[in-house]
Amino acid sequence: MEYIIHLAILTSIFAILGIGLNLVVGYTGLLSVAHAAFYGIGSYATAIFMKSFGVNFFIALLIGIIFSAIASFLIGLVLSRFKDDYYALASLGFNIIVWSIFLNWQSVTRGPLGIPAIGRPELFGFVFSENIFFLILSLIFVALVFGVSVFIGNSSFGRVLKAIREDEKAIQVFGYNTQMYKLTIFVIGAVLASVAGSLYATYITFIDPTAFNVMESVFVLSIIILGGLANLKGSVIGALFLILLPELLRFVGFPSDVAAQMRQLVYGLLLVLLMLYRPQGLMGEYKL
Amino acid sequence: MRFMGIIPQLVVNSIIAGAIYSMIALGFNMIYGATKFFNLAHGVMAAVGGYVVFFLTHSFGLSVWISVVIGVLAAGGFGVLTDVLVYQPLRRRQASQLILLVASLGVFTVLQALIAMIFTSQFKTLSIGNGVQQTYNLFGGIITTTQIVLVLCAVGCTMGLLILLNKTRFGRAIKAVSDDEEVARIVGINTDRIVRWLFFIGSAISGLGGILVGYDTGIEPTMGLALLLGGVVGSIIGGIGTIGGAFVGSFLLGFIENFGIWHISGEWKSAIAYTVLILFLIFRPRGILKK
Repeated sequence: MEYIIHLAILTSIFAILGIGLNLVVGYTGLLSVAHAAFYGIGSYATAIFMKSFGVNFFIALLIGIIFSAIASFLIGLVLSRFKDDYYALASLGFNIIVWSIFLNWQSVTRGPLGIPAIGRPELFGFVFSENIFFLILSLIFVALVFGVSVFIGNSSFGRVLKAIREDEKAIQVFGYNTQMYKLTIFVIGAVLASVAGSLYATYITFIDPTAFNVMESVFVLSIIILGGLANLKGSVIGALFLILLPELLRFVGFPSDVAAQMRQLVYGLLLVLLMLYRPQGLMGEYKL
Repeated sequence: MRFMGIIPQLVVNSIIAGAIYSMIALGFNMIYGATKFFNLAHGVMAAVGGYVVFFLTHSFGLSVWISVVIGVLAAGGFGVLTDVLVYQPLRRRQASQLILLVASLGVFTVLQALIAMIFTSQFKTLSIGNGVQQTYNLFGGIITTTQIVLVLCAVGCTMGLLILLNKTRFGRAIKAVSDDEEVARIVGINTDRIVRWLFFIGSAISGLGGILVGYDTGIEPTMGLALLLGGVVGSIIGGIGTIGGAFVGSFLLGFIENFGIWHISGEWKSAIAYTVLILFLIFRPRGILKK
């Protein structure tokens, strides 16, 4: 039972990451490979403020959001100038720069040693130390993020995003400042990633830079491509599927030391097969 | 380091780094020229080359030379395999550049995971004889035999490719495919065959680079990404799609990186490399050799 709750919490965290990235990649058509950077900024900000300053989780979460918003605003200013494959490449670059800061700014992040013993969230004296309560908290966040994202997707703002995806020039002719829209949705995606990061840091209670490298961005990308671009339900299903599949393979009898590689193998293969046979994913409405 | 302090060593290190990056950049750049997509799986071919040599020398006791030849051919073969199995079907379907890019991310992830599963993710070293390398003093900078071979190979590969592209019929066909694949096909060039050859040559050079890096420092499954990034940044700052650009950009990157970490810790190299890339993308997106 503990094991199922554990997987459910991981699925919730990756569902939040997927939903946020889907707003950027699926709705707006910007292939960002920098999502793990903001996931990491949220995680580190939460961990550091909770441990070093004794701040409550929910305030640390907000601080993480502010940090992610500032970082993504600055990075987005640069990224909004690009499109298509150059956007992907530049975003990959930013992921590496941010990751490199996690790894090397040792006085703040402790570098490769990571930050251990981060506390669990606490609200009015109630500590979410039992995993089942943490799961409820995560599910509340998933619901919130999902609701906000559906609202964004259906709003007039969301329709402009989809128009940018289909034909950026045409929507510019109508007088829309597309760079501003691209920047705004990038910041929103980063803020959602930061929320996932705060949950991750306080659930695992240990973070180190390896959780936020480029491969993690690729993992989230494969979640949303599998589930379907511009389909938020798809991202939740994609997260569930990609978290559970490697676990199933473990039950089949692969030794646990290859399990981590197995996860990479599975989602890499899935990316290739999807691109070959179903580039819009299971239930997507948009192809790259 | 008698008279000029650390500068000669920095120059030597920059040249070595530039040589390594250029061996990745050459193939990456040629493949981009012909197919117009960023093949992010290109760097992992270096790891394939390195690990094939490791396997042959350690498990079969084959001699270094035979192992290196087989390693280079194997890397080239894997490159062709990825083209035949993944990229060529996608091109037939007129898939967008982004689909090809994501597919190459998938190929990269699969190959890296496979290598780690077979050989574990431990760092391994390739060595000749007792592993002690002859070193030379070059105007106050220290360089090893392997590193000299590395630089010679990088220069040799670049010259070879320049001759191939500019002096042969095959080279003209490559240029035709790079200019406009459809027109090339219409005038009777077998474009799929040309692209397959490019994948073979590019991946083989990449594999050779990986093998030499293995003899210089060592191999690990994740080496492909770091090498690829160096190659990609080198290609773009030099001028994407050209051999000269790949070469010049890679060496420029080598110098920027090594002089950049003069006063700070060496771990910041990749951050510096990518900052340079982003600056170039903003201010000079077509590289230094192109208008």
